[in-house]
Amino acid sequence: MSNNIVENLRKEIEAFKIQTEVEKVGKVLEVFDGIAKVSGLSDVKSSEIVTFSNGVGGVALNLEEDAVGVIILGSFDKIKEGEEVRATGRILEISVSDSILGRAVNAIGAPIDGKGAIKAGKSYPIEKVAPGVVTRQGVDQPVATGIKAIDAIIPIGRGQRELIIGDRQTGKTAIAIDAILNQKGQNMICVYVSIGQKDSKLRKLQARLEDSGAMAYTVIVSAGASEPAAMSYIAPYSGVAIAEYFMDQGKDVLIIYDDLSKHAVAYREISLLLRRPPGREAYPGDVFYLHSRLLERACRRNAKYGGGSITALPIIETQTGDISAYIPTNVISITDGQIFLETDLFYKGIRPAVNVGSSVSRVGSSAQIKAMKKVAGTLKLDLAQFRELEAFAQFGSDLDDSTKRQLERGKRSVEVLKQLQYAPVKMEHQVVTFYALTKGFMDDVPVEKIKEFEGGLIEYTERHAKVFYKEIAESKMWTDKGEEQLKKAIAEFKSSFMK
Amino acid sequence: MTKISPKIMAEAIYNATKGKSGSNLELALKRSVKVLENKRMIGNSKNVLSALQEIIDKKEGIVRMKATTAHKMETTERKKLENEIKEKYKAQNVESLFFEKPELLGGIRVEVGDEVWDATYKNKLRKLEKFLIRET
Repeated sequence: MSNNIVENLRKEIEAFKIQTEVEKVGKVLEVFDGIAKVSGLSDVKSSEIVTFSNGVGGVALNLEEDAVGVIILGSFDKIKEGEEVRATGRILEISVSDSILGRAVNAIGAPIDGKGAIKAGKSYPIEKVAPGVVTRQGVDQPVATGIKAIDAIIPIGRGQRELIIGDRQTGKTAIAIDAILNQKGQNMICVYVSIGQKDSKLRKLQARLEDSGAMAYTVIVSAGASEPAAMSYIAPYSGVAIAEYFMDQGKDVLIIYDDLSKHAVAYREISLLLRRPPGREAYPGDVFYLHSRLLERACRRNAKYGGGSITALPIIETQTGDISAYIPTNVISITDGQIFLETDLFYKGIRPAVNVGSSVSRVGSSAQIKAMKKVAGTLKLDLAQFRELEAFAQFGSDLDDSTKRQLERGKRSVEVLKQLQYAPVKMEHQVVTFYALTKGFMDDVPVEKIKEFEGGLIEYTERHAKVFYKEIAESKMWTDKGEEQLKKAIAEFKSSFMK
Repeated sequence: MTKISPKIMAEAIYNATKGKSGSNLELALKRSVKVLENKRMIGNSKNVLSALQEIIDKKEGIVRMKATTAHKMETTERKKLENEIKEKYKAQNVESLFFEKPELLGGIRVEVGDEVWDATYKNKLRKLEKFLIRET
């Protein structure tokens, strides 16, 4: 046995070729707060990896006249002044292979889930120019999030960038997680990038994904709150590099950045330490480019260039609902729409607390399936009118019949859009529910019984309106035959429910 | 006002003193020190001096080499090395410093500016160590 080991080692040593080349070596001038100033390294490129004597890596970020500003990717307490720093000639990259699926890695691709090493694969650069115009295609395939309020009113398409924005504790992450859970069997790979989050929150989330079997198609990239700002800064780029690896295989990928506010804060920290001039809210001048170059990498590629897509759901946390702050306005303008979550709605019990009026999807409607478009087409307008009437109705008691009807319908619409966490709803079930709602089948069901009605209706119609379900599954739209059957089934269920 | 870097200051001092000798040179140097004081760069004079050294070296074709070996190098070996460096960097003159460090075990490490050619046994062993513990 030991002879074998010795023999193998001997062979390996014999096969090892040492090539001595001229290296560019600099010296550490100063180290502070995760940043090192290095002299020498005259030919170093921006974003090039450098290595310190103790093996810790760094990225050259500031190329100055007589020094290089390096962000240290790891522990910096053992780096000493005067220590040697070697340029590698390589731009920061991450090793990706199919075996990364189901794993949790840090910002530089090293596993953090204790499940052993990940098989090395292709190297993907962390910074890359977004795909050009000729390689792209319009968004026309839906991403089913399983959240009724989103799928019906603010639909998301594959390749879209939809911002989830709201105050703390309004259910932003919950929407993202529900969207991941609903991707089971939808031919979608998910990448969840956690930036500056507590490790306990990440662990809980990972456990939830594991319990639901969602880790099989998910990768978690994490830069925790205890890690240096440099890790938070590169984590989203590493995440999108992983997403690009799968997109290059023609697969569809959903990537969630949770959250980009913390990413901007990490970048601000690094920039200020590197003595870059501060601008508005002390963010550096290129904070817009920081997010635009990241989110531009989300795209849908046309068949000629291998197909595949990256759908991005960035998350932004606002302070007391202020969406006109610097970072929120930046990301709103970059993305193709936003899902706006409100604290007031959340505490009123309307969960997910989506403010339908302020939320918008600029490109998603072309990706919505025909059946959903038909049943939910007027829902946004109806809800907006309901909110207006609701405020108006508080002042007067005498309302005409049509206004009363609109108010009652509105209350039921709000009730239907409420949904429990971790309970995504299938697209065909959503279609049935909205069909019953918009065709007035729910108008005389008491508001407090709507949820019960909805649950029973799904169960009943699944058994008694099979043609309708089959048509939705196959052609994404019903025919007269299917509709008749559904109408009949709803009427039957309703009469037994109301008894 | 933009910050004056040691490199720019050194360039200015070089131009002010170029071609001067005797009392003229002394006067120019005194004035340079005064300027350094006015610009509050006295604390940075070490960097200015090294930048000045670099400029002079570049203008006069001098290359500074540092060679470190485990054992003392023979004079013929030193001459050979200097000639190699002279040719590689197309230098007029090579100013060399030779050091001995037994912990390098063998081989040679040559430094010119920020370029390092490390062919010591210690470095080779480090590379072998890295190769053997790499992730496969």
